Amino acid sequence: MSEDNSPVASPTARDDGETITAESQAKIRTAMESLSSILTPPTLPPSLLSSPNPAASLLHHHRDISCQISALLRQPESGAGDNNLCRWLYDTFQSSQPDLQLVVLRFLPTIAGLYLSRVALRKPLAGFEAVLLALYAHETTSRSGQAVTVSVPDLSHPSVYHEAKDPNPTKNNATDLNLAVISPSLEPHGTVRSTRRARIVGVALELYYSKISVMPLESKLEFCGFCRGWSGQHGDFIMYLQDSTTTATNSINNNEKQEDINSNINNDKEGSRIPLPWELLQPVLRILGNCLLGPKQDKQLFDAASAACRCLYARSLHDMDPKAILATGSLLTLSKMALDPKNRIDYTEITMSNVISI
Amino acid sequence: MASEDGSASQEVENEGDNGGVRELHANGNTMKTAEVEAKLDEGNIQEAESSLREGLSLNYEDCLSGVDRSLEMGVVKICKIANGHANGQIVCDDCTMEARALLGRLEYQRGNLEAALRVFDGIDLQAAILRLQPPSSESTSSKKGRPRSDSVTSASQHAASLVLEAIYLKAKSLQKLGKLKDAAEECKSVLDAVEKIFQQGIPDVQVDSRLQVTVSQAVELLPELWKKAGCYSEAITAYRRALLSQWNLSNECCARIQKEFAVFLLHGGVEAGPPSLAAQVDGSYVPKNNLEEAVLLLMILIRKFNLGKIKWDPSVMEHLKFALSLCGQTSVLSKQLEEIMPGVFHRIDRWNTLALCCSGMGQNKAALNVLRKSLHKHERPDNILALLLAAKICSEDSYLAEEGVGYAQRAINNATGNDEHLKGVGMRLLGLCLGKQATVSSSDFERSRLQSEALKSLDGAIACEQNNPDLIFELGVLHAEQRNLNAALRYAKRFIDATGGSILKGWRLLALVLSAQQRFSEAEVVIDAALDETAKWEQGPLLRLKAKLKTFQSRPMDSIETYRYLLALVQAQKKTFGSVRSVSKAEDDRVGEYDVCEHIMPLKCVMHQGQGQVQEAICDYVNALLLDATLVPCKILIGSVLSRVDKNALPIARSILSDALRIEPTNRKAWYYLGIIHRHDGRMVDAADCFQAASMLEESDPIESFSSLL
Repeated sequence: MSEDNSPVASPTARDDGETITAESQAKIRTAMESLSSILTPPTLPPSLLSSPNPAASLLHHHRDISCQISALLRQPESGAGDNNLCRWLYDTFQSSQPDLQLVVLRFLPTIAGLYLSRVALRKPLAGFEAVLLALYAHETTSRSGQAVTVSVPDLSHPSVYHEAKDPNPTKNNATDLNLAVISPSLEPHGTVRSTRRARIVGVALELYYSKISVMPLESKLEFCGFCRGWSGQHGDFIMYLQDSTTTATNSINNNEKQEDINSNINNDKEGSRIPLPWELLQPVLRILGNCLLGPKQDKQLFDAASAACRCLYARSLHDMDPKAILATGSLLTLSKMALDPKNRIDYTEITMSNVISI
Repeated sequence: MASEDGSASQEVENEGDNGGVRELHANGNTMKTAEVEAKLDEGNIQEAESSLREGLSLNYEDCLSGVDRSLEMGVVKICKIANGHANGQIVCDDCTMEARALLGRLEYQRGNLEAALRVFDGIDLQAAILRLQPPSSESTSSKKGRPRSDSVTSASQHAASLVLEAIYLKAKSLQKLGKLKDAAEECKSVLDAVEKIFQQGIPDVQVDSRLQVTVSQAVELLPELWKKAGCYSEAITAYRRALLSQWNLSNECCARIQKEFAVFLLHGGVEAGPPSLAAQVDGSYVPKNNLEEAVLLLMILIRKFNLGKIKWDPSVMEHLKFALSLCGQTSVLSKQLEEIMPGVFHRIDRWNTLALCCSGMGQNKAALNVLRKSLHKHERPDNILALLLAAKICSEDSYLAEEGVGYAQRAINNATGNDEHLKGVGMRLLGLCLGKQATVSSSDFERSRLQSEALKSLDGAIACEQNNPDLIFELGVLHAEQRNLNAALRYAKRFIDATGGSILKGWRLLALVLSAQQRFSEAEVVIDAALDETAKWEQGPLLRLKAKLKTFQSRPMDSIETYRYLLALVQAQKKTFGSVRSVSKAEDDRVGEYDVCEHIMPLKCVMHQGQGQVQEAICDYVNALLLDATLVPCKILIGSVLSRVDKNALPIARSILSDALRIEPTNRKAWYYLGIIHRHDGRMVDAADCFQAASMLEESDPIESFSSLL
């Protein structure tokens, strides 16, 4: 939803070395140098440093480095204000170099996941908060604080895709339409006030969602793991649940397979139960929607995201939150439909006939 | 078309066959595939081709005869277009192309994709386009008359369908080999070619069915290829090209593309931007972002289904459900659900989803009505989701609470098996309903029974869900209402810890409990801490508490100052956000102008009263009561003033105070003034009872009713 038009629309274009300015290269080099001093051993692989765009290369190719950063983030005192890594993430994001910003965003799931889970534990969090506030401020600036709205279409107006029945439509008037606020207007925040915490993280997740097409798989997997932790639910039962809110045939035929998936995923569950107000849950669900139904289909991600959905569906039942029940319920049904071979007919295949003719 | 009857006899399924291709047909000749296949397997395309040409008589004469005589003119025309080449050569090219197309398809169907590609590589699409393209505008001008241009179309369509099918299969082969970008390029060239060859379009009745199949498939395949290749902006362009240009797609095919596009818009994570200006018709609705476009497409799909144009696809409704609940537009969703033809959804499923929609937009009464139908004993009385939702709705209204108790109990009874985890939810809702029911119970005995049951039920719930902060909060409020202030304080603190102080009502509960313990300065510290954690616009309820706290500490001027600030805040908020703000989550926590007036009015009255301006004081009270007839503090104040004004007014004062006590039985002041009235009237025993109640309550009165928190 972000109005930000930084050049990441085509994920592959970035990867294979779009020319970057000398200034950007200098910024990237500085960032990589300071990163290497944080890691143990304090070096980055030469292949990373010598690549034309080390930032993009770190984002997409160097899993080991990303894993190491994630592991450092998970250390118990990592969120403190004087933490080197948090400072690096903050400075790197503030560099305003798009590739570097993407590198920071890649770690948002872990930062947000740990941050929200640790709030109740009274651990030092100023470092995490600085990074989150930087992301929030970036999003606030890029949409000039404006709310993101949607006017829900009404078919009585003709559109580019259809003609209205009414031959004399009233003038297309936005006031006739239902105006929905997807994300309310943003006020600047210099600190994280506790009652604004969910909103600040939610907005950071909105930014993440707007760049999700360039986020690597591991980042999204980490996100799914935290969703399960945040929900505070198992969600295992859901796969058997006769979901009465839909008519879709929900019975999963292959229980064994599901159990299999679960045993794989259980290890990745992270974080602890947190309040899930809509301002946080909504961007979470959009990200999960991408993981489940987005164009980059990956079995591991699909399984992780549907496990997360089950947990969040269970949670929404516990909260009895109608909007959340509807949204998570439909994601769940859609993920089940996606597994159904009936829905996988390839209509672009030719008729295989015994006779070929001209 | 006669030519189709003769040469292009449509695919006939051979019965009892192992699946492979058996025969090749052309020009009325039939040929077994074995011989050609053997040559292909040796990697000898040339030989395969020539044996094919022989076997199927693909030469100049037969090429002509292959096309119906009535179309001969058309073939001649093709030769003419490509002037500069010898006729024979051109027809020979056609023959080669035919043979290649045939061979390529044979290899493709046999699954030899690499081989198929080698065969297809020999087809020169651009040359074919040049041959098939209508001549430059002067020769297409109308001087030749209509019948001829028709036959041109038919003949060129047949030739075009062959070459386009070949290129399409090339794209498919590349796709299967994982070369998605190349595949997309080939597929795109099919569509480009169609647009070049048939610049004028083809009249509906004359469309060659084989050509149409290829075109439709290419239109559908192209965006999928771009999407899989990760070229999202190309995919968006391809989707829009598919949907906004005229490809004569079947309803089903168009619907599939519309759905895929909607899904991509919803979940692709790439902002598509509005369609190009060229596509926009004056006055028509142009979606300006992904969500709008996706919702529009999904609604169109549902309408098409309602009109009987396409088959029902349950995923369409699910996608729409997701999109609209994300926008918080469940009212639109309920409208869509209501429009869907009966028989698609089971009525109970439809009711339950409708109930969620209604409840999602705050129409709880409507939701409950629908749920009552769905939970009727002849429908699905044991559905746990419906039971829980009904109980939740009832728990928010004291007059429905009793009904809610029934639902909650049924939910608990049905929380077995996989639903066992919902038992705690049922118990929680049971506790809430009982607590609410207690507020309207007719007798004290009944009230205390309900309250202790409520507590028992919430205790049971928290045993199931120890980490549920909502539950912790509700227990805190319930204990506070029963004046178990120490327990209430514990829960209030636990709630703030569990939520990291992120939820405003937690701070309010803590402050109220402290105020009930007469620890006013600590309460003020809590409120100040809460104000620090709150953005300006959400400070209303806290400021109100703070003002009241000051009133209680006998600092009315400070209090009025705080109220003034609060009123200014409310008015500024109204100006800044107008109506858009109403969607924000802060809604429940906001303080309205009326709300402030409600509180300022009594204060003004107190001041008037203090200054001996009794008439003015009563006027203010009545004004405040006009704003809200259930305003307990005003009733009490009127009662107190009336009790002093005139002996004749005592019965009125008494009834007003009794009314106040009906609403808030633990209100200390109401008991106190009622006592005074009894004393005036000489009913000393009653008066003593009232004063005793007042003095007992004085120890535990919060500055704002605890029930205001739930």
